[in-house]
Amino acid sequence: MKFLAVCSTGLGSSFMVHMNIDKVLKELGVTGVDVDHTDLGSVARGDADAIFVGADLAEATENFDDVVVLKSIIDLNELREKVRATLELKGVTIPEKGSAA
Amino acid sequence: MLNDYLTPDTVLFATDVDGWRDAIERVSAPLLEAGAIERRYIDAMIDSIAKGGTYIDLGYGIALAHSRPENGVIETGLSYLRVSPPVLLNDEAEHPIDLFFCLAANDQGGHLATMAELATLLTNDDLRTQLLAATTSAEVSTVIQEIGNQE
Repeated sequence: MKFLAVCSTGLGSSFMVHMNIDKVLKELGVTGVDVDHTDLGSVARGDADAIFVGADLAEATENFDDVVVLKSIIDLNELREKVRATLELKGVTIPEKGSAA
Repeated sequence: MLNDYLTPDTVLFATDVDGWRDAIERVSAPLLEAGAIERRYIDAMIDSIAKGGTYIDLGYGIALAHSRPENGVIETGLSYLRVSPPVLLNDEAEHPIDLFFCLAANDQGGHLATMAELATLLTNDDLRTQLLAATTSAEVSTVIQEIGNQE
């Protein structure tokens, strides 16, 4: 399982999303998900099981499968919900120990 | 690490900012002065925002202005500009910004530890609220020092 955070430059907001996804996965107690970040120009179909982008890239990524659009990239609650929903969609079991939210 | 970059020289407050271009010029001025970036880095940020690059809007009225290392970064740097009243990024009503950061990252790795601290700071509701309430660089510094205690 691989999640990829993508932004225009590949080193600002995508890196923040990458770190926050790591944080949420840890909270949820989910392992075995590889997380990385890159820029829009480097991402190709099939690179990841889900691609997380800010709202500004919603249109630019509409041809990719499994794109998760974030309204705010520093809203952990939004990210937590969307990571959880994506994991469920992909059939990943969430241990439910991390109900800190 | 954040405290190494965000110092009285790089933490600015302004009540007379004339639009988003002026905000970008002013937040990046300390980095230009310190020799962390070339002039063209500022132009690259302004160009990319003008082309619709509101991706730098992180939410909660906070923007992280940055471009690619090859667009004129000399060394890693970070600066801070709190504006009042808010400035509309790219003149778009849906992107009002109260706080601009300018990030200069000189390679793929040099800025990672700083970014990690920044992400912790901005995603923590409590710290973010305190940061937005800060009115002096000393107050900003105090909030940054709390990062370690929150994790």
